[in-house]
Amino acid sequence: MNRRKISIKRELPTATLSGFVLSALLILTILNILLQNMPHKIETAGDLLLKLNTTEGVANAVTTVVVYFRGFDTLGEISVLFIASMGIGLMLRSNTKCNIKSESNFMLQTASKILFPVILLFGTYVMIYGHLSPGGGFQGGVIIASGVLLLLISDKAFEVPHSVIVALETFAGVSYVLIGLIGLLVLDTFLGNFLPHDISQMGMLLSGGIIPLIYIIVGIKVGSEMSMIVQNLIKRSDDV
Amino acid sequence: MFEFLNQPEVIKNIVIIGSMLLFFIGLFGLLTRKHIIKIFISIAIMETAIFLLFIGLTVKLDFIAPILDTAHTNVSNMNDPIPHAMVLTAIVIAMSVLALGVSFAIEYFKLTGKTNIDEMNEMRH
Repeated sequence: MNRRKISIKRELPTATLSGFVLSALLILTILNILLQNMPHKIETAGDLLLKLNTTEGVANAVTTVVVYFRGFDTLGEISVLFIASMGIGLMLRSNTKCNIKSESNFMLQTASKILFPVILLFGTYVMIYGHLSPGGGFQGGVIIASGVLLLLISDKAFEVPHSVIVALETFAGVSYVLIGLIGLLVLDTFLGNFLPHDISQMGMLLSGGIIPLIYIIVGIKVGSEMSMIVQNLIKRSDDV
Repeated sequence: MFEFLNQPEVIKNIVIIGSMLLFFIGLFGLLTRKHIIKIFISIAIMETAIFLLFIGLTVKLDFIAPILDTAHTNVSNMNDPIPHAMVLTAIVIAMSVLALGVSFAIEYFKLTGKTNIDEMNEMRH
């Protein structure tokens, strides 16, 4: 009887459970604060930005916040994505790359050839219309990377061309910084909107000055980096 | 019978409590599981809970999406765009961290053949 009790005590991870209860108590306190009514000032914080947004002539306010008002943060964010992609490439590098062992079936092979152009087109559409409708560079880039993933799991011999990815990524990163520096030269602010952005053009494809350009650049960069991450994770050497 | 669910305060509280429940599921998995990939999945669940909470706290039901057109230059009934933008940033960072962590786990498994975090004690000796 006594021995049985001891074995039960050993099975229970007491330290883990007590830590869980402690953090649960802390978070319940935060939850209690959150459930109270928030002050009115917090709820109307975005109205000023929405009013400012109309001066840039871009329909989607989220795009303006991400690319223009927080443009420098987005530059840092795609740098983080680039560093993560580089780290994964360094971690999982191997000379003898092969795809997953099992052969994909005929249906997947045929359907991927039909679906990949459509996915590519849809990703490009989401990327280019990011300043007019929900979507944008990040979303479009991830959609394109999902198309690349479909090709990778269906075709055993398919490999993302490394030189193309390097060229796209370099082009996107350099042109983001260059557009920011041109804004610095012309308007004295980094990422200043130096192209014409008239309010009367709002809703058109060519509107908003540099904002759609930057989102397309972000889309190219995110798409190429995500494709490289997916390829590095799915292709591994045989000597596991 | 369920009309009281349409009140804005009730919906807000449902979002808060639901996302916190999701957070607890992730936290419990993070603290009790031993497999390293399962720990990364738990972290991803916790991140999702935070994104849900962040969006759900600010979105109002009778307001429209923050997309202007020529007919809608009135911005007083639009949702706040800042949480959307910040969650967009946070999703990308979370994805980078998750992918990097998983790649570390894969490389560690290749080198040592271990996935249990209790056995990962090479640095102790």
